[in-house]
Amino acid sequence: MTHKKLVKDIMIDVFEYPHIPYWFTIRQAIGIIKKSRIGTEKPIYPIAILVFDEKYNLMGTITPECILKGLEPKIFKPGILAEFEGADIENAMTTYEAMMFNEEAKKRAEKPVSDIMIPAKIYVSSNDSIAKAAFVMIHHNVSILPVLEEGKKLVGVVKIFEIFDEISKTIIE
Amino acid sequence: MGRLVDRENPLKLYLQLAEILKKRIESEEWRVGSRIPTEEELCRAYDVSRATVRGAISELTREGFLMKQQGKGTFVIKKAEIDKLTMTVSFDELMLDPSTDVNTTVLAQTIMMPIDDLAEKLDISSEKHIIYVKRLRFLANIAILIQESFIPLHLCPHLLKEDLENISLFEFFEKRAALHITNVKNSFEIIYLNPEEARLFEYPVKTPALLLNQLFSSRGSNIMFSRTIKRPGKSGFSIHFEKWLHSQKDRVVFEISRARKDNF
Repeated sequence: MTHKKLVKDIMIDVFEYPHIPYWFTIRQAIGIIKKSRIGTEKPIYPIAILVFDEKYNLMGTITPECILKGLEPKIFKPGILAEFEGADIENAMTTYEAMMFNEEAKKRAEKPVSDIMIPAKIYVSSNDSIAKAAFVMIHHNVSILPVLEEGKKLVGVVKIFEIFDEISKTIIE
Repeated sequence: MGRLVDRENPLKLYLQLAEILKKRIESEEWRVGSRIPTEEELCRAYDVSRATVRGAISELTREGFLMKQQGKGTFVIKKAEIDKLTMTVSFDELMLDPSTDVNTTVLAQTIMMPIDDLAEKLDISSEKHIIYVKRLRFLANIAILIQESFIPLHLCPHLLKEDLENISLFEFFEKRAALHITNVKNSFEIIYLNPEEARLFEYPVKTPALLLNQLFSSRGSNIMFSRTIKRPGKSGFSIHFEKWLHSQKDRVVFEISRARKDNF
């Protein structure tokens, strides 16, 4: 069974999303999420800010998860969490908790968003199938993907919600 | 009570109200030294919101017609007799004559969200996108100005693709976007170069430099906010007054609104 809808049929226009240049700080990104419509609209999840370079090329995306990870410098670095197995995971949690609520976390919020964003090398094309978009999201454990045309021009954003809707329709029918 | 605001008129309500109130001051219906009606009274009299009344009052306060006194009310004050003059300000190397041999490098031409008080300055909601342009201007291969400009995206999305190394933003607005700049508000500040600015000018970090803030508007709507940092060093400064002529409809009025005394 093939599904005739493509990514471009369910994607959302890029201007529905907040844009920031990569040198903005995490603190500024938090402010934008708080003020933006997608921060309050239902469903509030998943949301993202798009990060651009000086020439308006997409560099990545910032989600609330990126920020929650990025405010803590160690545990969520690749490979580190895997070392905290079993009962040790409690230790990791305590460490995370201690890291989040202190003055150091406020200082870390002054880092540029480019340090914590999901790089834009993960993306789909507007003519890709919805199944491919679902696969890429699951594979990279993200819930939002930029949609590019010819590997360059950003035209929209696709969220796991719309993909879920499309795929679930075919299951229930 | 005189005329009311015209909701069909594209000019912002608060500016219309300011004009109406100004007439009452100029006709001496409201005399110098007298207290004007309260905000509520004005809301009722002109059938406008409180925000409109506040906007009109702060506009007239800025223009030097009114003064607020905490706990007492708003009073008509004597205005310096320069209101029929156009003042142009030129700073050596700060406002560039298009004929001079200036080269421009575009450092950034991208999109951002309004931060700090940009949304307020540009009269847009905080969810609206802004085009951010950062340019470095060279005179004889020496970096003389860093210019950052913020323009609401919805006014002219094609600005993103414009070649700003070869046309100025003024030219762009006038010729490509049909937006005629009718008013520019300027204010000056002394700032200390941050590492990025210091690197561009090749000066040590925290060197004092002159910053010019400019708010450009077109028929009552703000269309661009710019920050121009001048290369540290010599600053020449001149002010030029010119009699305002009724025939010049779209004259550009330059004014210094808050040149901070302690900086000069």
